[in-house]
Amino acid sequence: MKNRAALLKTLSMPLALAGICAFFAVKEPAFLGPRNLSQLMVEFSITGTLALGMFMILLTGQIDLSVGSGVGLIGGTAAVLVTKQGWGAPAALAAGLGVALALWALMGTLIVKQRIPSFIITLGGLLVFKGVFWKVIENSTIPVMGVDENLYSRITTYYLPANAGFVLAGVVVALLVLLEWLDRSARAARGLPVPSAARAFGLLALVAAGIFVGVDRFNRFHGLPVTFLILSATAAAVYILTRHTPFGRYLYAIGGNEEAAVLSGINVDRVLIGAYVLMGATVAVTGFMQTAYQGSSSTTVGDLMELDAIAACVIGGTALKGGRGTVWGVLFGALIMASLLNGMTLMAVQPEMKFIARGTVLALAVWLDVRLGRT
Amino acid sequence: MSAPLLEARDLVKKFPGVIALKGVNFALAAGEVHALCGENGAGKSTLIKLLGGIYPHGSYEGELRVDGKVAAFHGIRDAEHAGIAVITQEFALVDELSVAENIFLGRAPRRGLRVDWLEMQTRAAALLKDFGLDLPPETPVRQLGIGQKQLVEIVRAMDKKSRVLVLDEPTAALTEQEVEVLLGHLRRLRSQGTTCIYISHKLDEVFAIADRITVLRDGASIVTLTTKEATIPIVIRHMVGREITDLFPKKVGWSALTPTRLDAATAEQRVGVNALHPQPILSVRGLNVAPAKGKPAFLRDLSFDLRPGEVLGFGGLMGAGRTELLMHLFGAWGHRLGGEVTLRGLPYARPTPGESIRRGLVLASEDRRRYGLILGQEIGFNLSLSSLRAFTRVGGRLDLPAEEVENQKFFSSLRVKAPGQHTRAGTLSGGNQQKVVLGKALMTGPTVVMLDEPTRGIDVGAKLEVYELINALTAEGKAVILVSSELPELMGMSDRVIMLHEGAVGGEFARAEFAQEKLLAAAMGHAHAA
Repeated sequence: MKNRAALLKTLSMPLALAGICAFFAVKEPAFLGPRNLSQLMVEFSITGTLALGMFMILLTGQIDLSVGSGVGLIGGTAAVLVTKQGWGAPAALAAGLGVALALWALMGTLIVKQRIPSFIITLGGLLVFKGVFWKVIENSTIPVMGVDENLYSRITTYYLPANAGFVLAGVVVALLVLLEWLDRSARAARGLPVPSAARAFGLLALVAAGIFVGVDRFNRFHGLPVTFLILSATAAAVYILTRHTPFGRYLYAIGGNEEAAVLSGINVDRVLIGAYVLMGATVAVTGFMQTAYQGSSSTTVGDLMELDAIAACVIGGTALKGGRGTVWGVLFGALIMASLLNGMTLMAVQPEMKFIARGTVLALAVWLDVRLGRT
Repeated sequence: MSAPLLEARDLVKKFPGVIALKGVNFALAAGEVHALCGENGAGKSTLIKLLGGIYPHGSYEGELRVDGKVAAFHGIRDAEHAGIAVITQEFALVDELSVAENIFLGRAPRRGLRVDWLEMQTRAAALLKDFGLDLPPETPVRQLGIGQKQLVEIVRAMDKKSRVLVLDEPTAALTEQEVEVLLGHLRRLRSQGTTCIYISHKLDEVFAIADRITVLRDGASIVTLTTKEATIPIVIRHMVGREITDLFPKKVGWSALTPTRLDAATAEQRVGVNALHPQPILSVRGLNVAPAKGKPAFLRDLSFDLRPGEVLGFGGLMGAGRTELLMHLFGAWGHRLGGEVTLRGLPYARPTPGESIRRGLVLASEDRRRYGLILGQEIGFNLSLSSLRAFTRVGGRLDLPAEEVENQKFFSSLRVKAPGQHTRAGTLSGGNQQKVVLGKALMTGPTVVMLDEPTRGIDVGAKLEVYELINALTAEGKAVILVSSELPELMGMSDRVIMLHEGAVGGEFARAEFAQEKLLAAAMGHAHAA
């Protein structure tokens, strides 16, 4: 009985995702078509990247409500620099990133040093950033493209050629095998139990197959989208940060018991500010992707994205009070949120119904999480 | 003969990976004080949670009978209806409410729909006075010390007029006077017909109050004795399954020949410590510390030295400033108004926990659930949390296999009772949690180890392991600061004792001068009276 509950627990997310996809596939066969899948992956990449930043904030037990406005502001700033100021795209993107890092470092510092709750500071950020955003774009629509395609606009319009995609997939798989082998030999060398080779490499074979099938699906449209590469790189970075560095341990420790973390010698202030700066970086990257995806910056870019990011984390099993969650869970949650939105848009569902559906799914997911006792 | 008031028959309770209870039998006669004794992980806490309805009927095997009838508690309320009130080691008080509100939590006196505040205050004041507690009922519980919180909980349970009062380590945080008050009240309640299950590691207390004792070991009930026929050594023998001859295996001195880490047994040859190490490892001069900037000094004019291989004990009554002193030296409490601290020859003016650990000064806190552990994480996660620097390789990457090996070393040598180092810390019993807290401090490779009530709420066997750990540390030339509320422990393990009184030194004693009355007098500010 215990095992059944555990099984149900691990399977609940894949099942939910499969259910959502099956529903849309039946209602609207184009959902699984190569074009829409490619688009879905772009949208998933955008939601997922922001959710990964939010994940590190939530792990510490803090929250960030300002990221949606931030996405608009940073994307808009870069767009204005390119289109109105005539900057080159790389310089404009770098400037946007710099602004984001500075803003989030400032918010992190206020939260930590002045002891203002993050809920309040970032709620303030939500409003202030939105106001500044609208001033920056002067309540108008600013295209990301000047005369020609540039680095900024290509973020969502460039696709890796088919062969390059396969080569990249091969490199990634080879890297995964190498890492697994290195890990196993390191454990063996220290006399630690090594998990069964058949199981580990079997799993890797499955992952490899998944990667190649995925690349093949992408190639049936235009190829691997750049945004998906950005998400993959972000996910890998956040995974390594949270699982393989002291910083990541400290995120979990602070969220689990902040007082004990302090007495364990952790510089809690520095870790928290670090988490906010990383959040700022993902906000900037998401801002570029989302604005480029829309083709231009306008007043509604980024609206409610903070809630999608939080929802993705929570659906993926991240605890709002901190200390619990995984990168895989967050990616699953983001995919569920993105599929839901994409499918509903494809079916031309009214916007009001979309809000209701998103909210219901979030509440349902958390309720299930509690019922299945994932603690 | 009438049926026992409460009876347990062949109780078995299983958790994933652990069988917590494997056959517990005992019968509680009406009007008796029945003590439960056993080592950490013997199953006492599990048994109490079962009696109190926290583990509901159906989650265990065996029978629980009240007045001879099988009882099926589905929650705490069912148990309370049956007249069983459980007071556990974890406080069930709301920090933000007043003492009076906590005493009447969920059953406030009412006038119509409104709470009758006046009536509540008056009744609470009477109860507190009756209990001998000098505490205004409107005090917020958050302002109370750990000992006072415990007393408020006991007052609340006593006022509920329960038939069976289950006290889990009620005196762990109380001063000797407070313990006497409590025992007095228990005797009074017994004479009025209340039945009591009393769990304590302090066996002299058990013998002072209990009529009968049931010993648990490894989840099974071993024997039930009357206190008339039993003696402390007999009970201890049943608890550990072996004889313990020396309660405080203190070893004096230090030898450079035996640099073993956690193995005290090889440290046989000892040399006088102060002759070898005239230089103090930690030196404190004229230390004055306020709770916060702008507040008056709470720790006043403290000066002392600590030498390698030495155990310096700090005693004092509750609120004397022992914990605050340790927390301040470690860098986690207070605003320094004046004074100098020198650690390993270097001035240490602005301590922070991180800097202290880097310099080899560690603290194992008394409140392990609050300050010691990340309960939701694994044992291994907790053990290495302060030592991650040692496992960080090029590029900031953690060497996970190396970390796991080191964790396993501490997990084994500390003999933590758990399926493995990947077990969550929150599932461990108090003594085993304490071992993890100690392990975390020791893994950093400290030279000065500050232990705040290291044996609170843990059993005789685990206490012995802590004492041996202290011996092993001093054998390596490390210095230990020991804070304890139990005078026998303080005198048994320290080379020197400083009694604190209201934030200042009340008296300092070398081992040869140790005497309970003298130490106690110093703690109460009468250093020269005794």
